[in-house]
Amino acid sequence: MEKAYKMNLKIADFFIGTFAGSLVALVVYLVLSTQPNMLIAMVLGGLIGMVLVMPLTILLMPFVGAFEVMIPLGIIGMGVGMTTGMLSAIPAISGYAVIAWGDLAGFTVAMLIYFSNKHLINQ
Amino acid sequence: MKINKKSYDGVARIFDFMRGGDMRRWGPDQRALFKNLKGRVLYIGIGTGQEIVNFPPGLDITAVDLSYAMLTRSHSRVQNYNGRIHRCQMDAQATAFPDNTFDTILTVCVLCSVQQPAICLKELKRVLKPDGELVMFEHVLSKNPVYALILKFMSHITEYLEGTYLDRDTVNNAEMAGFKIHSHKNVYLDIVKALRANH
Repeated sequence: MEKAYKMNLKIADFFIGTFAGSLVALVVYLVLSTQPNMLIAMVLGGLIGMVLVMPLTILLMPFVGAFEVMIPLGIIGMGVGMTTGMLSAIPAISGYAVIAWGDLAGFTVAMLIYFSNKHLINQ
Repeated sequence: MKINKKSYDGVARIFDFMRGGDMRRWGPDQRALFKNLKGRVLYIGIGTGQEIVNFPPGLDITAVDLSYAMLTRSHSRVQNYNGRIHRCQMDAQATAFPDNTFDTILTVCVLCSVQQPAICLKELKRVLKPDGELVMFEHVLSKNPVYALILKFMSHITEYLEGTYLDRDTVNNAEMAGFKIHSHKNVYLDIVKALRANH
Protein backbone atom coordinates (compact mmCIF):
# COMPACT_ATOMS: atom_id res chain seq x y z
CA MET A 1 0.00 0.00 0.00
CA GLU A 2 2.73 2.43 1.06
CA LYS A 3 4.90 1.36 -1.88
CA ALA A 4 2.04 2.07 -4.29
CA TYR A 5 1.50 5.46 -2.65
CA LYS A 6 5.18 6.36 -3.05
CA MET A 7 5.00 5.30 -6.70
CA ASN A 8 1.98 7.59 -7.19
CA LEU A 9 3.95 10.48 -5.72
CA LYS A 10 6.81 9.78 -8.14
CA ILE A 11 4.38 9.78 -11.07
CA ALA A 12 2.94 13.03 -9.70
CA ASP A 13 6.46 14.55 -9.78
CA PHE A 14 6.68 13.92 -13.53
CA PHE A 15 3.15 15.21 -14.11
CA ILE A 16 3.84 18.38 -12.09
CA GLY A 17 7.10 18.99 -13.94
CA THR A 18 5.43 18.61 -17.34
CA PHE A 19 2.42 20.71 -16.34
CA ALA A 20 4.60 23.48 -14.87
CA GLY A 21 6.74 23.51 -18.01
CA SER A 22 3.74 23.91 -20.30
CA LEU A 23 2.12 26.53 -18.05
CA VAL A 24 5.28 28.65 -17.96
CA ALA A 25 5.70 28.24 -21.73
CA LEU A 26 2.08 29.24 -22.41
CA VAL A 27 2.17 32.37 -20.23
CA VAL A 28 5.61 33.45 -21.49
CA TYR A 29 4.47 32.98 -25.10
CA LEU A 30 1.26 34.95 -24.54
CA VAL A 31 3.16 37.82 -22.90
CA LEU A 32 6.28 37.89 -25.07
CA SER A 33 5.22 36.73 -28.54
CA THR A 34 5.35 40.34 -29.77
CA GLN A 35 8.75 41.02 -28.21
CA PRO A 36 11.26 41.46 -31.08
CA ASN A 37 14.45 41.43 -28.96
CA MET A 38 15.52 37.88 -28.09
CA LEU A 39 17.80 38.92 -25.21
CA ILE A 40 15.08 41.01 -23.52
CA ALA A 41 12.59 38.17 -24.13
CA MET A 42 14.97 35.73 -22.45
CA VAL A 43 15.40 37.90 -19.34
CA LEU A 44 11.69 38.70 -19.10
CA GLY A 45 10.80 35.04 -19.73
CA GLY A 46 13.02 33.96 -16.83
CA LEU A 47 11.43 36.53 -14.54
CA ILE A 48 7.87 35.60 -15.57
CA GLY A 49 8.67 31.91 -15.08
CA MET A 50 10.06 32.50 -11.59
CA VAL A 51 7.09 34.61 -10.54
CA LEU A 52 4.67 32.06 -11.99
CA VAL A 53 6.10 28.98 -10.26
CA MET A 54 6.17 30.62 -6.82
CA PRO A 55 2.41 30.43 -6.07
CA LEU A 56 2.30 27.03 -7.79
CA THR A 57 5.05 25.79 -5.44
CA ILE A 58 3.27 27.08 -2.34
CA LEU A 59 -0.01 25.57 -3.58
CA LEU A 60 1.45 22.10 -4.22
CA MET A 61 3.84 21.85 -1.24
CA PRO A 62 1.24 20.61 1.28
CA PHE A 63 0.16 17.81 -1.05
CA VAL A 64 3.34 16.39 -2.54
CA GLY A 65 6.15 17.62 -0.28
CA ALA A 66 8.02 20.90 -0.01
CA PHE A 67 11.41 20.07 -1.51
CA GLU A 68 10.04 17.68 -4.12
CA VAL A 69 8.10 20.62 -5.58
CA MET A 70 10.41 23.52 -4.79
CA ILE A 71 13.54 22.22 -6.54
CA PRO A 72 12.08 21.13 -9.92
CA LEU A 73 9.72 24.09 -10.15
CA GLY A 74 12.54 26.50 -9.32
CA ILE A 75 14.60 25.12 -12.21
CA ILE A 76 11.59 24.97 -14.55
CA GLY A 77 10.49 28.52 -13.72
CA MET A 78 13.80 30.08 -14.65
CA GLY A 79 15.02 27.62 -17.31
CA VAL A 80 11.80 27.12 -19.23
CA GLY A 81 10.92 30.79 -18.81
CA MET A 82 14.21 31.92 -20.37
CA THR A 83 14.20 29.44 -23.24
CA THR A 84 10.53 29.92 -24.13
CA GLY A 85 11.10 33.68 -23.92
CA MET A 86 13.77 33.34 -26.61
CA LEU A 87 11.59 31.03 -28.69
CA SER A 88 8.62 33.40 -28.40
CA ALA A 89 10.71 36.19 -29.93
CA ILE A 90 11.12 34.18 -33.15
CA PRO A 91 8.31 35.48 -35.42
CA ALA A 92 7.79 32.27 -37.42
CA ILE A 93 7.34 29.99 -34.40
CA SER A 94 3.86 28.82 -33.37
CA GLY A 95 2.50 28.86 -29.84
CA TYR A 96 2.02 25.09 -29.98
CA ALA A 97 5.72 24.56 -30.64
CA VAL A 98 6.66 26.78 -27.68
CA ILE A 99 4.26 24.91 -25.36
CA ALA A 100 5.56 21.56 -26.64
CA TRP A 101 9.08 22.73 -25.76
CA GLY A 102 7.84 23.72 -22.28
CA ASP A 103 6.28 20.26 -21.84
CA LEU A 104 9.44 18.49 -22.91
CA ALA A 105 11.73 20.70 -20.81
CA GLY A 106 9.53 20.28 -17.72
CA PHE A 107 9.48 16.51 -18.11
CA THR A 108 13.26 16.45 -18.67
CA VAL A 109 13.90 18.47 -15.50
CA ALA A 110 11.68 16.07 -13.51
CA MET A 111 13.57 13.12 -14.98
CA LEU A 112 17.01 14.62 -14.25
CA ILE A 113 16.01 15.28 -10.63
CA TYR A 114 14.63 11.75 -10.34
CA PHE A 115 17.98 10.25 -11.40
CA SER A 116 19.97 12.79 -9.38
CA ASN A 117 17.93 11.80 -6.31
CA LYS A 118 18.40 8.11 -7.03
CA HIS A 119 22.16 8.62 -7.24
CA LEU A 120 22.38 10.74 -4.07
CA ILE A 121 20.23 8.53 -1.84
CA ASN A 122 22.33 5.50 -2.77
CA GLN A 123 25.59 7.21 -1.82
CA MET B 1 11.39 38.13 10.31
CA LYS B 2 12.52 37.08 13.77
CA ILE B 3 11.02 33.75 14.72
CA ASN B 4 9.70 33.50 18.23
CA LYS B 5 7.14 31.63 20.29
CA LYS B 6 4.34 33.86 18.99
CA SER B 7 5.08 33.09 15.33
CA TYR B 8 5.11 29.32 16.01
CA ASP B 9 1.78 29.68 17.79
CA GLY B 10 0.40 31.34 14.66
CA VAL B 11 1.70 28.58 12.38
CA ALA B 12 0.25 25.80 14.58
CA ARG B 13 -3.22 26.01 13.00
CA ILE B 14 -1.95 25.21 9.49
CA PHE B 15 1.14 23.17 10.46
CA ASP B 16 -0.35 19.72 9.84
CA PHE B 17 -1.68 20.81 6.46
CA MET B 18 1.60 22.42 5.38
CA ARG B 19 3.66 19.37 6.38
CA GLY B 20 1.21 16.80 4.96
CA GLY B 21 3.17 16.17 1.77
CA ASP B 22 6.48 15.80 3.62
CA MET B 23 4.98 13.29 6.03
CA ARG B 24 3.64 11.20 3.14
CA ARG B 25 7.10 11.14 1.56
CA TRP B 26 9.27 10.64 4.64
CA GLY B 27 7.34 8.01 6.61
CA PRO B 28 9.48 4.93 5.72
CA ASP B 29 12.78 6.83 6.13
CA GLN B 30 11.69 8.20 9.50
CA ARG B 31 10.64 4.76 10.73
CA ALA B 32 14.04 3.34 9.73
CA LEU B 33 15.86 6.16 11.55
CA PHE B 34 13.65 6.11 14.65
CA LYS B 35 14.51 2.44 15.25
CA ASN B 36 17.68 3.84 16.80
CA LEU B 37 15.80 5.62 19.60
CA LYS B 38 16.50 3.95 22.94
CA GLY B 39 16.61 4.56 26.66
CA ARG B 40 15.47 7.94 27.87
CA VAL B 41 14.70 10.01 24.78
CA LEU B 42 14.58 13.79 24.43
CA TYR B 43 12.45 14.81 21.45
CA ILE B 44 13.23 18.38 20.46
CA GLY B 45 10.45 20.32 18.73
CA ILE B 46 7.52 17.92 18.91
CA GLY B 47 5.34 20.43 17.04
CA THR B 48 1.92 18.91 16.47
CA GLY B 49 3.42 15.43 16.95
CA GLN B 50 3.19 14.32 13.32
CA GLU B 51 6.24 12.04 13.64
CA ILE B 52 4.88 10.13 16.65
CA VAL B 53 3.15 7.67 14.33
CA ASN B 54 6.60 6.62 13.07
CA PHE B 55 8.06 5.96 16.55
CA PRO B 56 8.67 2.37 17.68
CA PRO B 57 6.41 1.48 20.62
CA GLY B 58 7.40 1.48 24.27
CA LEU B 59 9.75 4.47 24.40
CA ASP B 60 10.15 6.83 27.35
CA ILE B 61 10.11 10.25 25.67
CA THR B 62 10.41 13.77 26.98
CA ALA B 63 9.15 16.07 24.24
CA VAL B 64 9.76 19.81 24.23
CA ASP B 65 8.50 22.63 22.07
CA LEU B 66 8.70 26.40 22.23
CA SER B 67 5.06 26.87 21.29
CA TYR B 68 2.14 26.12 23.61
CA ALA B 69 -0.27 26.04 20.65
CA MET B 70 1.83 23.31 19.00
CA LEU B 71 1.96 21.29 22.22
CA THR B 72 -1.81 21.56 22.58
CA ARG B 73 -2.33 20.26 19.06
CA SER B 74 -0.06 17.27 19.71
CA HIS B 75 -2.35 16.04 22.51
CA SER B 76 -4.31 13.33 20.65
CA ARG B 77 -1.18 11.90 19.00
CA VAL B 78 0.60 11.76 22.35
CA GLN B 79 -2.41 10.01 23.91
CA ASN B 80 -2.53 7.42 21.12
CA TYR B 81 1.17 6.54 21.36
CA ASN B 82 1.92 3.10 22.79
CA GLY B 83 4.60 4.31 25.19
CA ARG B 84 5.24 7.29 27.45
CA ILE B 85 5.51 10.86 26.20
CA HIS B 86 5.93 13.68 28.68
CA ARG B 87 5.60 17.13 27.13
CA CYS B 88 7.04 20.45 28.30
CA GLN B 89 7.17 23.95 26.88
CA MET B 90 10.83 24.85 26.62
CA ASP B 91 13.39 26.58 24.42
CA ALA B 92 15.76 24.02 22.85
CA GLN B 93 18.60 26.56 23.11
CA ALA B 94 18.35 26.68 26.91
CA THR B 95 16.66 23.62 28.38
CA ALA B 96 16.05 23.07 32.08
CA PHE B 97 17.52 19.55 32.16
CA PRO B 98 20.67 18.66 34.10
CA ASP B 99 23.87 17.54 32.31
CA ASN B 100 24.05 13.99 30.88
CA THR B 101 20.33 13.24 31.25
CA PHE B 102 19.29 11.55 28.01
CA ASP B 103 20.37 8.38 26.17
CA THR B 104 19.04 9.61 22.82
CA ILE B 105 18.11 13.05 21.53
CA LEU B 106 15.89 13.37 18.46
CA THR B 107 15.46 16.43 16.25
CA VAL B 108 13.10 16.43 13.27
CA CYS B 109 13.26 19.58 11.13
CA VAL B 110 14.09 21.69 14.16
CA LEU B 111 17.60 22.95 13.46
CA CYS B 112 16.19 24.76 10.43
CA SER B 113 13.93 26.79 12.69
CA VAL B 114 15.85 27.60 15.88
CA GLN B 115 17.44 31.04 15.85
CA GLN B 116 20.91 29.86 16.90
CA PRO B 117 21.48 26.26 15.72
CA ALA B 118 25.07 26.17 17.06
CA ILE B 119 23.91 27.18 20.54
CA CYS B 120 21.06 24.67 20.36
CA LEU B 121 23.43 21.83 19.40
CA LYS B 122 25.83 22.72 22.23
CA GLU B 123 22.88 22.59 24.63
CA LEU B 124 21.88 19.17 23.25
CA LYS B 125 25.45 17.96 23.75
CA ARG B 126 25.29 19.08 27.37
CA VAL B 127 22.13 17.10 28.18
CA LEU B 128 23.16 14.02 26.19
CA LYS B 129 24.90 11.24 28.14
CA PRO B 130 28.55 10.63 27.12
CA ASP B 131 27.60 7.31 25.47
CA GLY B 132 24.34 8.75 24.10
CA GLU B 133 23.33 9.39 20.51
CA LEU B 134 21.94 12.40 18.66
CA VAL B 135 19.46 11.33 15.95
CA MET B 136 18.57 14.01 13.41
CA PHE B 137 16.11 14.09 10.53
CA GLU B 138 16.86 17.49 9.04
CA HIS B 139 16.97 19.42 5.80
CA VAL B 140 20.12 21.32 4.91
CA LEU B 141 21.54 23.51 2.15
CA SER B 142 22.47 21.42 -0.89
CA LYS B 143 26.06 21.26 -2.13
CA ASN B 144 24.73 21.38 -5.71
CA PRO B 145 24.94 25.09 -6.74
CA VAL B 146 21.65 24.98 -8.71
CA TYR B 147 19.68 23.42 -5.85
CA ALA B 148 21.44 25.72 -3.36
CA LEU B 149 20.45 28.82 -5.36
CA ILE B 150 16.79 27.78 -5.30
CA LEU B 151 16.92 26.94 -1.58
CA LYS B 152 18.53 30.28 -0.72
CA PHE B 153 15.89 32.12 -2.74
CA MET B 154 12.99 30.13 -1.27
CA SER B 155 14.42 30.48 2.24
CA HIS B 156 13.29 34.13 2.29
CA ILE B 157 9.70 33.02 1.63
CA THR B 158 9.62 30.07 4.05
CA GLU B 159 11.25 32.23 6.72
CA TYR B 160 8.39 34.69 6.33
CA LEU B 161 5.62 32.06 6.06
CA GLU B 162 6.58 29.55 8.76
CA GLY B 163 9.92 30.55 10.24
CA THR B 164 11.98 27.89 8.47
CA TYR B 165 15.41 28.52 7.00
CA LEU B 166 16.37 26.36 4.02
CA ASP B 167 20.04 27.36 3.95
CA ARG B 168 21.35 25.83 7.17
CA ASP B 169 24.55 23.77 7.23
CA THR B 170 23.41 21.40 9.97
CA VAL B 171 26.08 18.75 9.35
CA ASN B 172 28.84 21.31 9.83
CA ASN B 173 27.04 22.93 12.78
CA ALA B 174 26.79 19.55 14.54
CA GLU B 175 30.50 18.90 14.00
CA MET B 176 31.35 22.41 15.23
CA ALA B 177 29.32 21.72 18.37
CA GLY B 178 31.53 18.69 19.04
CA PHE B 179 29.39 15.86 17.66
CA LYS B 180 30.89 13.13 15.49
CA ILE B 181 28.50 12.10 12.72
CA HIS B 182 28.79 8.34 12.27
CA SER B 183 25.77 7.69 10.05
CA HIS B 184 24.78 9.98 7.19
CA LYS B 185 21.98 9.07 4.77
CA ASN B 186 20.40 11.24 2.08
CA VAL B 187 16.60 11.00 2.06
CA TYR B 188 15.87 13.46 -0.77
CA LEU B 189 18.73 14.66 -2.97
CA ASP B 190 21.41 15.94 -0.58
CA ILE B 191 18.84 18.21 1.08
CA VAL B 192 16.83 16.00 3.45
CA LYS B 193 19.11 13.87 5.61
CA ALA B 194 18.90 11.18 8.28
CA LEU B 195 21.90 11.66 10.56
CA ARG B 196 23.23 9.95 13.67
CA ALA B 197 25.96 11.45 15.82
CA ASN B 198 27.65 10.90 19.16
CA HIS B 199 30.02 12.79 21.46
